[in-house]
Amino acid sequence: MLSENLKWYFPSSVSQAVELIQKPGVILHAGGTRILKTQSKNIVGLVDVGNLKLNYIKFKNNSFHIGSATTFNDVIKFSKENNCLKMLGAALSQAASTPLRNRITVGGSLKDFPLWSNLYAPLITIDAKIEIRGDKSGIYSVEEYVSDGIIKSKHIIKEIIVPENENIIWKVKRFALLKFEYPLFNIAIAFKMNGKIIEDAKLVITGVKNRFKRFKKAEKFLTGQKLSNNLSDEIEKFIEPKFVSDYKYSASYKETVAKVYFNELLSEIIRENL
Amino acid sequence: MKASFNINNSVSELELNPNETLLNALRNNGFTEVKCGCNEGECGACLVLLKDKPVNSCQVLAMSVQNKKIKTVKGIGTLHNPNLIQKIFASTGADQCGFCSPGMVVAAYSLLKENSSPSNEEIVEALDGNLCRCTGYVKIIEAVKRSAIILQENKVEAE
Repeated sequence: MLSENLKWYFPSSVSQAVELIQKPGVILHAGGTRILKTQSKNIVGLVDVGNLKLNYIKFKNNSFHIGSATTFNDVIKFSKENNCLKMLGAALSQAASTPLRNRITVGGSLKDFPLWSNLYAPLITIDAKIEIRGDKSGIYSVEEYVSDGIIKSKHIIKEIIVPENENIIWKVKRFALLKFEYPLFNIAIAFKMNGKIIEDAKLVITGVKNRFKRFKKAEKFLTGQKLSNNLSDEIEKFIEPKFVSDYKYSASYKETVAKVYFNELLSEIIRENL
Repeated sequence: MKASFNINNSVSELELNPNETLLNALRNNGFTEVKCGCNEGECGACLVLLKDKPVNSCQVLAMSVQNKKIKTVKGIGTLHNPNLIQKIFASTGADQCGFCSPGMVVAAYSLLKENSSPSNEEIVEALDGNLCRCTGYVKIIEAVKRSAIILQENKVEAE
């Protein structure tokens, strides 16, 4: 249960917000859904991002800039009219329900890498970047943001930057038995195409050991290949996700399901684009 | 502590704790038309419109929405002055025990404000955060469809 003495802060600038979160037990509040799920007693203060004007989607310098306080539904709505963001829209549509997607924000789903986040896998595959303000202010690729300890620094996510690219074919899928369950893992596949030739391939899964896994051997194998029906079987040997067992599912069960999902998605992506 | 909220087009001072959800703050201050179901954001009984968008009030910390525009089902229509959608829910038999109805009406109202002729899929998607344990949803979806048709025939918005 959250403390009855919870202190609220409503900063009007990102720098004020960064200063406030330096205090122990003070964290950012955007949509608040995760805070209410975790109900941590250790939270002593909440810094609301509502006045920071971080709810936007803009197009500049050949990229889409999505403010961290933008809700999932706002991204989904925008993505319907913009081909480059359709993958992101499809991934976010799989999360929760309409009313919850009106509260869940992009930043809230990235901060601290919640394993169930629907955002990381597609963002990695489309070479998105994350701009943060704080101890390590800067613009990072999603992999840098996660891997270099930056994620643990005291920071606020300002925006995500998605490069415009019309020639991408993609698939996303999450594994959850019920729509309302947090997914066990999320998969995203994206191929940058030149006609029927795969110019660049990204295959990503989140929810595994070490947060996420890119199947680089499979990506290397696929790069330069012409789309053909046998590709999905040929790369099967490169797909080896490693999971941790939990109270519900064994690691080997999750590995098997993930492999099947990869195979299905690859078959679909090839079939639809041959 | 007290905080100011814009509920159903009027300013209300609510007595609340800083850790309280919007659902509890509303119900503890007399807005009992907002129902408490699962309290986990899954059933949609507590749906309200926040800045014209449906949200689970149990998943919103009240302090974060001070002075923001909030609409409960009573802001859409009341027992003695029901909204067309509420009338059609009743006449279609889209409510049985009635516990989910406030949330369903809020979700339907929000959908029809934005999309006057939704497809079946769009209706199902708009109601994907609302659970009903009586009707089996058939009548509810029918009520939303009928509401859309009548609103279009009368060329009026879902007001």
